[in-house]
Amino acid sequence: MSDSPPGPARPQASSLGDSIVADWDGPGDELPPPDWGRPSGPRRAATVWLFAILISAMAAANVWLAGGLEHEAFLAWATVFTAISFQALPFLVFGVALSAALTAFVPASFYRKVIPRNPMAAVPVAGLSGAVLPGCECASVPIAGGLIKRGIAPAAALTFLLAAPAINPVVLVATAVAFPGRPEVWVARLLASLGAAVVVGWIWARLGKADWLRPPRANHDPDATKAEVFRDSMVHDLIHAGGFLVVGAIAAATLNVAVPREWVNGVGDLPVVGVLVLAALAILLSICSEADAFVAASLNAFSPTAQLAFMVVGPMVDLKLIALQAGTFGWGFVRRFVPLTLAATLVFTFLIGGLLL
Amino acid sequence: MNRIAQGLVLVLLGAAALGTTLASDLYLNYVQGYFRPFLIAAGAVLVALGAVVIAADLRSAARGSDRQDAASCGHGAEGGPRVAWLLLLPVVSVFVVAPPALGAYTATAQGPSSAPDRVDLSEYRDDPFAEAGDGPVELEMREFVSRAWTDEERTMSGKTIELTGFTVPNPEGEGWYLARLEMACCAADAVVNRVLITDEPAPEADSWWRVRGTWDEPEGDLQEVRDHRFTVEEMDEVADPPDPYE
Repeated sequence: MSDSPPGPARPQASSLGDSIVADWDGPGDELPPPDWGRPSGPRRAATVWLFAILISAMAAANVWLAGGLEHEAFLAWATVFTAISFQALPFLVFGVALSAALTAFVPASFYRKVIPRNPMAAVPVAGLSGAVLPGCECASVPIAGGLIKRGIAPAAALTFLLAAPAINPVVLVATAVAFPGRPEVWVARLLASLGAAVVVGWIWARLGKADWLRPPRANHDPDATKAEVFRDSMVHDLIHAGGFLVVGAIAAATLNVAVPREWVNGVGDLPVVGVLVLAALAILLSICSEADAFVAASLNAFSPTAQLAFMVVGPMVDLKLIALQAGTFGWGFVRRFVPLTLAATLVFTFLIGGLLL
Repeated sequence: MNRIAQGLVLVLLGAAALGTTLASDLYLNYVQGYFRPFLIAAGAVLVALGAVVIAADLRSAARGSDRQDAASCGHGAEGGPRVAWLLLLPVVSVFVVAPPALGAYTATAQGPSSAPDRVDLSEYRDDPFAEAGDGPVELEMREFVSRAWTDEERTMSGKTIELTGFTVPNPEGEGWYLARLEMACCAADAVVNRVLITDEPAPEADSWWRVRGTWDEPEGDLQEVRDHRFTVEEMDEVADPPDPYE
């Protein structure tokens, strides 16, 4: 891969060069410069130098390591980590863009017309609207954050957050493809996921307190243009959710490489334990909801209800998602919301699995 | 994390997405081929957004007003949380480590898969052997394995078949495996499909081969089979195929 650094490095180098030059030319026409002694000027230059050193170090390390890395377990980990990050990246970027567009361009009055005022009525509407928008869980977290900012009842926004990745058309088609000749599987998935999402929303509407959610960001500068609002809210969401997405990818990749599949297959025969094991596996592996049906289908040492648990719990509770939610809404929220969601998904898995599968 | 650092992180992350899709085919080691346009679009958005943020920050510095820093959000004047620095980890991963596709290590760690209950063979050609006559028929490893486990009519019986995959040593017994990883979405959900070969000496692990030969039809129930056996007539080493997964 010796040819990879020059390609992508070129635009960075030019923008870095530009930014250093601009930084030096900008305020420095006269001596002393107007921002002399203020912290942000020198710190800005220091940041640019830090990145210049980082990029040089990456290029040097690439040459130095070329072909020399042979630790297979580490390389497998790095591959899975990069795979999870890259697979989530487009969903994150476009989810954040949609959320920023909602914040900047759609007036709050629009939602008040479309979504019922009463949270109890708004929750099922939000759950069903999750069935329309295709997207991964990484996209739905920032969108839900954007909806709350626009004044939607948190319970309804959270129902949307849970339902959208679990029951959107792409996921249901993938499930039907992964379980050919067994339409009851995707029907069970739809019913169990929608039921769990709506029940969680209703419980949150009844018992949830506003201060459990980290308050949405303070209002924008009143002078800011719509484009500036769009830009700032997109950067804010990317920077906050993105770091936590990487945390989730690290954890999922570690478990993916460290837990042998044979251990997992060994407990497949035990009925209730099997369901709990696959639910735990779904939480740990953090596979995107569009792919989890194929993995569930491959875990055929387990009962159909256990496979259903894997597909119902995974899109609503997993490491990547917990980290993303913590980044968007705060840990105080995660501490209450995640156990509630997990309990609801398990109850609905046993219920629907017992009835249909 | 100040504004300019946020902008630079976004640019680097976008460059990582663009570098692995436009400058090389590295992304195929991690995700399905159909992700390419989405990764390119996401990378372009990140680079553009980062550049806009950097430019706006430098402009406000030039004006001597740091309006954005103060107004950007309620997490202190610096703006971004420390965890955001982790966004550089995928950048370091692809530019420094450039992890290869999963291979023999993962195939060994995963161990044997078990027979699927039912497989939809309609996704494949009805009868791949109809037109070929006696000539060899090229099958994907996953199609071969699906047929070997579920095709009760045993259409593959006695036919000359061509398979492509990488070498996985068999630590527990005779022979070696020719394997291929099947991926639905990304490398995290990769599942191994493999055939056992005992009549040829094992090549080096992770080397890629195209083998031509026949399926060793098992005696009893197809679903009870643990390893699908394959008799090799001819085998050639191949350069890594462009897409390492199926």
